[in-house]
Amino acid sequence: MSAADTRKSCDAIGPLLFFYVCDEVNEQERAAIEQHVAICADCREFLETERALQSELASLPQASDQLDPSEILLSQCRSNLSEKLDDLHAPAAKEKWLSLFWLRRWFTVHPAWSAALLILFGLVTGVQGTQWLTGLNNANALDQAVNVRPALKLTNEQLSTMAITGVNFTSDPDAGQRRVRVQLSAEQPVELTGGLDNQDVRRVLTFVVGNGKQFDSGLRLDCLDALKTLSGDVEVRGALLSAARKDQNPAVRLKALEALRDASSDHTVRLTLLDALHHDSNPGVRVEAVNLLVRSLEAENAREQNDSAHSDKMDVPIVEGEQDLDSLNGVLRTLQVLQRTDPSPYVRLRSAAALREIGDRDEQ
Amino acid sequence: MPSPRWALAVANQTGQSGTCSAAVATVIPLAKLEERALVEEAQAGNRQAFEELVRIYDRDVLRLALNLMKRTEDARDVYQEAFLKVYRSLHRFRFECSFYTWLYRIVTNVCLDHLRRRQSRPEDQAPESHSASYEEGTADFFERQKEHRPGLDPERHLMGREIQTRLAEAMLRLSPRERVVFEMKHYQGLKLRAIGDALGTSEETVKNSLFRATRKLRQELGELR
Repeated sequence: MSAADTRKSCDAIGPLLFFYVCDEVNEQERAAIEQHVAICADCREFLETERALQSELASLPQASDQLDPSEILLSQCRSNLSEKLDDLHAPAAKEKWLSLFWLRRWFTVHPAWSAALLILFGLVTGVQGTQWLTGLNNANALDQAVNVRPALKLTNEQLSTMAITGVNFTSDPDAGQRRVRVQLSAEQPVELTGGLDNQDVRRVLTFVVGNGKQFDSGLRLDCLDALKTLSGDVEVRGALLSAARKDQNPAVRLKALEALRDASSDHTVRLTLLDALHHDSNPGVRVEAVNLLVRSLEAENAREQNDSAHSDKMDVPIVEGEQDLDSLNGVLRTLQVLQRTDPSPYVRLRSAAALREIGDRDEQ
Repeated sequence: MPSPRWALAVANQTGQSGTCSAAVATVIPLAKLEERALVEEAQAGNRQAFEELVRIYDRDVLRLALNLMKRTEDARDVYQEAFLKVYRSLHRFRFECSFYTWLYRIVTNVCLDHLRRRQSRPEDQAPESHSASYEEGTADFFERQKEHRPGLDPERHLMGREIQTRLAEAMLRLSPRERVVFEMKHYQGLKLRAIGDALGTSEETVKNSLFRATRKLRQELGELR
């Protein structure tokens, strides 16, 4: 073989030597390489170099032998994989929760935006939450009163020692009824809420009206205003009478008399009116008393007429009560005295007018 | 160097292997039958069968990951990510290739992804395990003992160390694909055809990658020769 042929063969065989060492040549290539190496010293030397390199590479310490010689890492990996597989088989609810992790990932990736969003969320929650809570309280106060202690029974002793901190009157648009919320402290803070048919609420209001010295006059007026439709109730009427006679504030006395308007024909009420005419220092109260007396007499007159018509038909004798006569005479006498002696001209005029009205009635 | 278990499987498929013995060759078909049954069981949702499959191959997978990543944390990530991918996509496996090929396609892809990611972050380069361990004095106790046998040449010993260090550094300069090919050829003992199957590429391409890788290593060692 000439030198040129050998060089040509070297160019063809040279690149194959590496793969020959790696055992990655076919039988035909292998035979050609072995034949060429036997006659070519250069390629034989190159082949030895390749073998030495492969040997050095093979003798290189492997990272796996150094990093995990006792296969502890392998055990850890198996354990971790098992846990992950457990997670993948977790119940659907947990997976649903995990699906929210995109949010967490987003927060992680966008820290600035996350901070801004959190601050905004805090602000909105703070502002809106406060408004919502306030609205909720107002709603309770105005529209949808909640009976906190519906079964509460206040004792007389508690009533006598209580201090009222607030009374709110609201109208229930659905029931067309007034609702009252009373905040008081007896042995402990108590809040009563309910309509005027609520016994506890009524007892408290009645107690306030009947025991004027213990409570503010404004509060007494509010309570009177609430109770004015309940003058038919014995307890309420007693408190109203007491207020009309004894309350120190003339406005309260006047309001109490007004509240007794519907019960003015009652004997006890009429006695109270007469008492007011005799002893009340306020002319406004006395005038109101005169008005109520006239009203009571008118009501009595109308009732007598009805009764006489009824007795004509039924042929039943009319028996007028001695008490009523006494009361009527007492009214007339009182009015006559007032007509002459009352220091207030308006009272005197109103008394004279009342006497005339009564006279007209008698003539009829 | 012991051959990985999958190298035996490759030998069976490609028909030859430098480490394959006749005794092993008779066992493999049975093993493959078992493996196919396991895969089918796992596809049907049998967790135990899947874990059995994992145990057949995971030692080699971790070894590959450790050799390529040179860092236990990364190797652990590769292991977990690869097997979770296998678990999630096992139902798509249709036995068109052997299970090991399919598995190693996933494993090598995960490794390549990690290596490429690491290459794009220079600050995240893995420390060279053995050279670092010498510096920190944490190498194996026996490695640090003086050689008292008179037959051994200290100069040659030092040269060997230097060559190993250079090779390890040169390995870091290989491209991810070259590194994977080199690792699978030299340390996993796979044939080029099998590597091509695993990487989803031709044998020729793998050949070129291996050739380039070896040339770079040879150049690195040139001064020491």
